[in-house]
Amino acid sequence: MEQKIMIQFSQEQLEKVNQIIARYPEGKQKSALLPVLHLAQEVFGWLSTETMDYVAALLQIEPIEVYEVATFYTMYNLKPVGKYVFEVCQTGPCMIQGSDDIIAYIGERLNIKPGETTEDGLFTLKVAECLGACGYAPMMQVGKFYKEHLTKEKVDAIIAECRNNVSVNN
Amino acid sequence: MSSQKLLLENAHIEGIRYYDVYRKNGGYRSVEKALKMAPDEVVEEVKKSGLRGRGGAGFPTGMKWSFIAKPEGVPRHLVCNADESEPGTFKDRYLMEFLPHLLIEGLIVSSYALGSNVTYIYIRGEYAWIPDILEQAIAEAKANGFLGKNILNSGFDCEIYVQRGAGAYICGEETALIESLEGKRGNPRIKPPFPAVKGAWDRPTVVNNVETLAAVVPIINIGGEEYAKIGVGRSTGTKLISACGNINKPGVYEIDMTISVEEFIYSDEWCGGIKSGKRLKACIPGGSSVPILPANLLLKTAKGESRIMNYESLSDGGFATGTMMGSGGFIVLDEDQCVVKHTYTLARFYRHESCGQCSPCREGTGWMEKLLLRLDQGQGKLSDIDLLWDIQSKIEGNTICPLGDAAAWPVAAAIRHFRDEFEWHITNAAEAQTRNYGLAHYADPLPVSEPVAV
Ligand SMILES: Cc1cc2nc3c(=O)[nH]c(=O)nc-3n(C[C@H](O)[C@H](O)[C@H](O)COP(=O)(O)O)c2cc1C
Ligand code: SF4
Ligand code: FES
Repeated sequence: MEQKIMIQFSQEQLEKVNQIIARYPEGKQKSALLPVLHLAQEVFGWLSTETMDYVAALLQIEPIEVYEVATFYTMYNLKPVGKYVFEVCQTGPCMIQGSDDIIAYIGERLNIKPGETTEDGLFTLKVAECLGACGYAPMMQVGKFYKEHLTKEKVDAIIAECRNNVSVNN
Repeated sequence: MSSQKLLLENAHIEGIRYYDVYRKNGGYRSVEKALKMAPDEVVEEVKKSGLRGRGGAGFPTGMKWSFIAKPEGVPRHLVCNADESEPGTFKDRYLMEFLPHLLIEGLIVSSYALGSNVTYIYIRGEYAWIPDILEQAIAEAKANGFLGKNILNSGFDCEIYVQRGAGAYICGEETALIESLEGKRGNPRIKPPFPAVKGAWDRPTVVNNVETLAAVVPIINIGGEEYAKIGVGRSTGTKLISACGNINKPGVYEIDMTISVEEFIYSDEWCGGIKSGKRLKACIPGGSSVPILPANLLLKTAKGESRIMNYESLSDGGFATGTMMGSGGFIVLDEDQCVVKHTYTLARFYRHESCGQCSPCREGTGWMEKLLLRLDQGQGKLSDIDLLWDIQSKIEGNTICPLGDAAAWPVAAAIRHFRDEFEWHITNAAEAQTRNYGLAHYADPLPVSEPVAV
């Protein structure tokens, strides 16, 4: 069921926003945009137009200034994504360690292609470019952390762990 | 032969990530020492050390610092470049994860030298767990009087803030980084004005790499002159190398710049040789942007001398037969790897990361990617190789920022040294889909060039 989320930071989150703004010179609160968008994405899951407009108002800048930035950087999700996003690096050093096979295997296991989300909304598969883990390839980012030295068995275990987390938390 | 360690010496001490352990092992001595010196004397030590920027360009750090403008009443800023996104490079991550206090210590000393009361660390957004580590180190340093107001009663105030990027290689370029710090798209600025005059919020700004700023700690501790004695020529001190690809021991290593490339690859102290007993085919020794070399030219220069892991030796022969130290991202390819496919992934990377401001870069990177994919899939024509060459030559030197060059060089070098492998993908297209070209002649000893009589 589609849930309507109120786009509004909590008091605590607003305090965090003010702390971020305070890092920059007086009147340069726009500088806080990237960190505040990260926070907004963490709280609301993705950056809807409504969310971006809300951030613009908070930082007293034009909405277009937020759209420009949100569309430039790859980490901002401009549409909803799964609860777990698998971002598999495919650049040279990972490619020679078999990242193509890992991408194909995850796609097969989850029955989705890169860029897609599973029907249950649990997983999104994405391909990524070098994530700075080339010596520990193949690898992927899942949320805040890296999963490195991937094998098919490891992928299975990660998928199982995610599913398990969900059933425990619900 | 073992290299002297100046940065990673204590990396394996349990708990070194925390202030107490770090301090007990000699941490923050350089701050105590530097704050008793005049800021210009600190800059002078860094000049004497011969330290060159570790972010890729190798520009002398002390000289860069001496360019910072000092207009009356205008704040200045130091910004630490922790964007680390050049394929093959993962050394800054290692430093920040395991030795966060070393970076913070280097930042305090460098901020003092430059007169930066508010210093920023701009870290790539994907390193999402590292800001917590850095912020804890900052809080600990502050609690112990090494940050904040009137540090060690010197009258110097300093705060350090961490800002995450959000996924854009181009934000590693210093003017794009500044734009991003200001909350904008990462479009590089036209230089001049240089950041040292007009940087973040139009204030004089110095951007330096993580490793560069960490190296300031040993420089102050042992003195610039002592530091300059390590290494050779204009490659002074130690360098972190992140090694990856088909080797037995991928990882981050600190070397003094006197060991040979051969030793680095085959010694058990470093990469431990090629994995599964395979043979070395090619290597990109300084991050994806620097020219790829076949095994024979990698291990020996065209003059037949053994190639050494330093700025001068790696670039010996220019682009015709040499490469570059770059960021120290050392990518090793064994005999089973396909240079065409590897080059294709790099072209895809640069197309993905081009900010799109200049047409030679925006259009050229996309075109190169398409041609390389076609070649890799066995649908290329012989004329595509010349076309690729033509495109890369039209990008190089014709763009606002060096990403254009960085995209052109890997393609140019691959064609320069591996042209027959490219041709084979066309002449033997069907076969190329079932096996790869292999080692061919790429490890054969080079003909010794006779001195030409004039
Ligand atoms: C496309 C591009 C990406 C770059 N990425 C980085 C990077 O991730 N980290 C870095 O330190 N320097 C990077 N640089 C170099 C910076 O522009 C700058 O030269 C460097 O941060 C200066 O610091 P250093 O003198 O200490 O090396 C990049 C340059 C370009 C053109
Ligand atoms: S060279 Fe490429 S990345 Fe650099 S400014 Fe031009 S378009 Fe942007
Ligand atoms: S190439 Fe995959 S992490 Fe660097």
